[in-house]
Amino acid sequence: MSEERTKEDVIEIIKANLKENLHDVDIEEITPESSMRDYGANSLDIIEVVSATMRQLEIRVPRSELSQVENIDQLADKFMEYL
Amino acid sequence: MKPDDILKFSLADFTYNDSDEVLSPPEDFETWIEDPRVQMAMSFFEQPLEEAPTPRTTIERGISGESRDMINLTSYNYLGLSTHPEVVEAAVEAVEEYGVGASGAAMLSGTFDQHIRFAEEIAEFKGRDDCMLYPSGYAGNLGAIQALLQRGDVLVIDDKCHRSVVDGAQLAGARLASFRHNDPESLDAMLQRYEDKRRLVVVEGVYSMDGDLADLPSLLEVCEHHEVPVYIDEAHSSLVFGEHGKGVAEHFGVSDRIGVDFGTLSKAFGGIGGFVCADEDIIRYMKCYASPFQFSCALPPPIVAAMRKSLEVATRDSSLRDKLWDNVEQFRTNLEALNLDLGESESQVIPIIVGSSGQQLMELALAAQQRGLYLQPIDFPAVEAHGRRFRISVSAQLTEEDIDEACNIIEDTIAKPLNSG
Repeated sequence: MSEERTKEDVIEIIKANLKENLHDVDIEEITPESSMRDYGANSLDIIEVVSATMRQLEIRVPRSELSQVENIDQLADKFMEYL
Repeated sequence: MKPDDILKFSLADFTYNDSDEVLSPPEDFETWIEDPRVQMAMSFFEQPLEEAPTPRTTIERGISGESRDMINLTSYNYLGLSTHPEVVEAAVEAVEEYGVGASGAAMLSGTFDQHIRFAEEIAEFKGRDDCMLYPSGYAGNLGAIQALLQRGDVLVIDDKCHRSVVDGAQLAGARLASFRHNDPESLDAMLQRYEDKRRLVVVEGVYSMDGDLADLPSLLEVCEHHEVPVYIDEAHSSLVFGEHGKGVAEHFGVSDRIGVDFGTLSKAFGGIGGFVCADEDIIRYMKCYASPFQFSCALPPPIVAAMRKSLEVATRDSSLRDKLWDNVEQFRTNLEALNLDLGESESQVIPIIVGSSGQQLMELALAAQQRGLYLQPIDFPAVEAHGRRFRISVSAQLTEEDIDEACNIIEDTIAKPLNSG
């Protein structure tokens, strides 16, 4: 199942989870080149978005490997390594 | 979890419990924490001190269970007041007069004459209208922020602020927004983003993992432009910074531009507790709505009596602060000669940044502690994964010999391996 995911699928899941946590952001305005912080996400929001996305993708990526990820596109790339 | 992957994971990875049973930890957390390599790292936590938290103390080693005399660079007893003879005497006398505990919440039966006098003395020391006391520093930030904010408000914090500040926003139901550390442009953007909301900005005087200071002149300018009040956490800077020890706001000459001045009694004061200073009307309001104030037992009277004496001793002259700063200078000079990465520290908190390898950090910590240096490793997620470190808390009680011996151990067990790698 997870092997069929494309990077675009992963980005869409991240965007949906970001929308779920921030409420006041429009999913259409989220671009992969942006950081979640650009949309007002705080550290707790980011933990939740990352956790929820990993659960949906059925992967476990060590948080330490995500600490230098700068935007949604890079986060999706990191998740793709584990799919 | 594969054995090869164990060391890639950290405490940051198990906050979500996927077990069906609430009383069962996550299965992979159990696998991870029982691994001998993780057990070695965990053995640094909760090593019991068997004597006072002075520069020379005895510690039961977590790795071996042996009792060991060590040089202590980890306790934040910055001025040595925890064991100052006058402070200890004040505590002993108060135990005999009042007993051990307050036996009540502050609003009902837990306020003693000692609490009233001390709150007045702290307010006077900080140059504020009024002050309220909390049973811990954590409770102080939690309670003050909870009482000040509500759902719909936004707490805007420096992204290196303490967890108690984050939790305060959670308890208040306020939106939490962070700006890049000490970055006025990032702060400006965040205040702009939430311009239609009630906002409060929180910064710390000294940042506890880096030892650098809030850039108050630049940040205050932004806050004043947006007409947003500033709350400063002077946990690590009260009694340490400023001509009179009032903190980093005094150091920068901006005390009158600060809305709320928070401090702890567990750092330089040498005891436990928190205090919040502000205008009289908002303190009166906070007392009615801060749950950690209302629903906790008040500070024990002997602790309050001791903290009154700590304040008196630390402010009767500058001798303790002068000694602390002499020690900081000696430490920095010695450490800089060892070619170590000390970050941006400007205070008595001096990090030694090791880098991204958690395993190397733990190996260096083990070597240092086996040589008798109690210097604790600070691992991800407490700090960034690429900035794992040691954190030195300099104390005024350290002698020149203590500092030289400590630096010799640091040279042999930390600097040489880092510089050769």
